[in-house]
Amino acid sequence: MRNVAIIGCGQAKHGRRTDVNQAELVAEAVWAAVEDAGIAPEDIEAYAVGNMQGFGGIAQPDLVFADYIGAAGKPMQRVATGGTVGGSVAHLGYYEVASGMYDVVLAVSWEKHSDSAEPGATTGLLHVAYANLSYMMKVGMDMRSFAIMGLAGAAAGISAYQAAFYMARSGCGIEHFDMVAAKARRNAAKNKYAHLKWPNCTADDIAKTEMLIWPMRFGHVCPASDGASCVIYASEEAVKKLGVEKPVAWVKGVAAYADEEADQGEAYQGTAVVDYSDQTGAILSAMKAYERAGIKDPRKEIDVAEIYAPFPHQELMFSERLGFFDDGTAWKAVEEGVTEIDGDFPICPSGGVNATNAIGSSGMQRVVEAALQIMGKAEEHQVPKDVRNAVAHAWGGQVQFNTVMVLGDSPKR
Amino acid sequence: MKVAVIGYAVSNLEWDAEKTREETVFEVAKSALENAGVSREDVGTVISASTDFLDGRTISNCMLIGGGGAYLKDESKAEEDGMYAALYAAQRLMAGVHDIALAVSHTHSWIFNPHQVSQYMLEPWFDRQNDLINGITLAALQARMYMEKHGVDELDLAEVCVKNLRNAAKVPYALRKLHDITVEEILESEMFSDPLTELMIAPPCDGAAAVVLASENVAEEICENPVWIKGIGNSCDNYLRDRDLAKLNSLEIAARKAYRMAGIEEPFREVDVAEITERFAHQELMAYEALSFCREGKGRVLIEEGMTEVYGDMPVNPSGGALAGDPICATGMIRLIEAAKQIRGEAENQVDGCRTALAHAQWGLCAQKNLVFILGDEP
Repeated sequence: MRNVAIIGCGQAKHGRRTDVNQAELVAEAVWAAVEDAGIAPEDIEAYAVGNMQGFGGIAQPDLVFADYIGAAGKPMQRVATGGTVGGSVAHLGYYEVASGMYDVVLAVSWEKHSDSAEPGATTGLLHVAYANLSYMMKVGMDMRSFAIMGLAGAAAGISAYQAAFYMARSGCGIEHFDMVAAKARRNAAKNKYAHLKWPNCTADDIAKTEMLIWPMRFGHVCPASDGASCVIYASEEAVKKLGVEKPVAWVKGVAAYADEEADQGEAYQGTAVVDYSDQTGAILSAMKAYERAGIKDPRKEIDVAEIYAPFPHQELMFSERLGFFDDGTAWKAVEEGVTEIDGDFPICPSGGVNATNAIGSSGMQRVVEAALQIMGKAEEHQVPKDVRNAVAHAWGGQVQFNTVMVLGDSPKR
Repeated sequence: MKVAVIGYAVSNLEWDAEKTREETVFEVAKSALENAGVSREDVGTVISASTDFLDGRTISNCMLIGGGGAYLKDESKAEEDGMYAALYAAQRLMAGVHDIALAVSHTHSWIFNPHQVSQYMLEPWFDRQNDLINGITLAALQARMYMEKHGVDELDLAEVCVKNLRNAAKVPYALRKLHDITVEEILESEMFSDPLTELMIAPPCDGAAAVVLASENVAEEICENPVWIKGIGNSCDNYLRDRDLAKLNSLEIAARKAYRMAGIEEPFREVDVAEITERFAHQELMAYEALSFCREGKGRVLIEEGMTEVYGDMPVNPSGGALAGDPICATGMIRLIEAAKQIRGEAENQVDGCRTALAHAQWGLCAQKNLVFILGDEP
C-alpha cells in the first residue's frame, strides 16, 4: 500500500459568514491550504469534494464553482454521507492517492447554513425520512410509525435519546455533560477558526442555561456554522519530488463501517439493537483503522483525538467506542481533567464540533486539527506533549455512519 | 493493482414504480452478488450512488445500508452517477485495502421531478432567478449551438433516436422500446424546447444497478470471465457560462486520459463498442467527436452512414443508451454493465468479436462532468 501524507491544511473562518457566498467560502479554505502546502495550483492532479447539498440550497454546488477552486478540466469526485461527509471526503482524497491514480489530491468540504432558512445541524435530519413518509402515507400507514422511527426532533432529538441511553449505561450525570461542553467552549476560545468561544467557561456556567429536552441543555447544543476545511494529500514520492521540508502528517489507517441498526433497528428493520449508544459501527471502524495503522493499544499509542461530538455525551461515548477508555468510564476521566488540552489524553483541543459545526466542514476539520497537532502548528491549542499519532473521527446519518482516520508523524513501514 | 468487473445486475426501468427504493436496491445488490458468485461475507467495501435532491431527502443513503449490503462494511456514498461509485470502489481495491467491492446506484424519479432538480443545479445568484432555464432548455441551447456550428439538422438528431430506441426493443429492462419507430415519428413527438422533441430527451425513470468488482488478487480465482478495467479518465468542465457549450471539452480530456492509460492510439479502430450516456440526442453526436471516433463537426457523418449501428464499424449504444430509459444515478453504471456484457458476449445486441469496450457517464448540466472507462477481456 502506498504511503500518503497530508502536506497542507486550510480552514475558512467559521461562524455566520454572510460576507461571502458559498463559492467564496470554499475558495477561502482551498487557497489557504495550497499556500500552506507551498505548492502551485497546477501541482494538484485531482479533487475530492462534498457537502450536504440541501443545507446550502444548491444541488451539486461544486459544479457551479469548479473554477473557483482550480478544478476545471481536472478530475473531481464527490461524496456525501451526512455528518460524516467531511470524514468521507477526507477518506476519498486519501484513496484517490493511495490507489496510485494520482500523486497530489486536494480534498475540501464545506457547509453554508446561513443560506438556508433551516439550520441543518438541528432540524435537517428530519428530512431524512420525508420520502418514506410520503410513501407510508401513500400505502395507508399512519403518522405514528414515523415517530417510532426515532426521527422526531431531528439530530438534537436523536441525540437526546442517545444521551439518555448513555447515562443509563455509564451512570454519568448531566453535570458531566456540562463539564465537556465548558471544555469545548474554553478550548474554542484558543482556536482562531472556531465559532462559539467562551474563555474561562465553567461547568456551572453551562448548568445555568435552559433545559431544552432532558438531558440536554441549551449550553450543550452545537451552533449551525458556515465554514470550509481543506487538506492536500501527496504520495510519498510526491512529497520528495515537491521538496516538502516542513513536517507533514502521514495517513496510517482509515475505516468507515456503517451500523444501520443503531437507530432504526426495532421499528424499521425488524432487528433489535435499540441502544443508540451501543455504536457497533464506531467500534468496528476504530478496530479496523487501528489494525491498518498497526496500532495495538490505542490508549497508549494515540496522543490526541479529535472526536465528532456536536453534543457533549458523544465525546464521552465515542472516546470509549474508539478504545481510549473502558465502556462507561469516560466521565471519570473528564472529572480528573484527563481530556483537557494539558491533560494526559487531550480530546478535541480545538473546541471540537460542539463549538463549531458547519456540517460538511466538521468531519474534515477533525482531520485538519489532528494533522495540525502532528505538524505542531495548532498554535494556542497545541497540546503540550509530543504528538506521534492522532485520531480524527466523524459520525453521520442517523447516528449509524462512522469514519475514523489515524494520522502519524512518520510513514508506515 | 488491476481491477475487474466480475458481476452485475440491472433492475427493470419503469415509471411510477410501486416498489420502494429500498426493495429495488436490495434486489440489484443481491442479484449482482449472485451473478458474481460471491456472498455478502466476501465483500470488503460497498459504495453507493444517489443524490439528496433526486431522492427528495437529506442523507439519501440512510435506510439503504441494509438493503445495499453495506451493514457493518467499509462503506461510503458517491453523490453523482453510479459509475463514479464504481470508480471509488475500484480505487479502494487499487489501494490494496480490500479485494472485493460492491457498487450500487439508484434513482427513483417518481420521488422528485429530476427536471426540477436541474433548476436547483443552477447557481442561485443570477441564473436561478431567470425562470427560463433548466436542464432541458439549456440542452436545447446546447443543441442549437452545436447544430449551427457544424451544419447539423433535426434529422440527424432524430436518426440517433431511431437507432437507440430500435436497439432498445431487444433489451428486456428498457423503458422505451420502439422497434418500428421512424424519423418522422421522432420529429412529430411533442416539442419540449426547440429543437428537442419528447423522444430526443432521455426519459427519467425509476431504476437501480449494481456491479461487483474484484482486484487481480482474486478476480480470476472467483470468475471465469472477468472484464478488466484498462483505462480510466475523469474530468470536470467549467460552469455553464464559462465553457463552450458547443463542445464536450471535459469528455475529450477524460477520453484522452483513458485511451492513454489503456494504450489505445486509434480509438475508431481499437474500440469495438461504446456505451455512452446521451441525455439528449445531440449529445451522442457531440460524444462521437469528443471520443475521437471522428473529427470535430463530423459526428453526423457517422450516424448518416450507419457506422454506429450494431452492425456498423463503430457500434454505439447497442443497449439503447440513456434515451431508452434514464434512472439518473444508475444510467452511467448501466452503460458500464452493458459494456462489460459486450465483452462477455452476453449482450442482447451483441457486437461480434468484442474485446475492447468503452463506457461513459456524464453529470451536471449540459454534460459538464464526464467519466470514461475502457474495458478489456484481459488484464
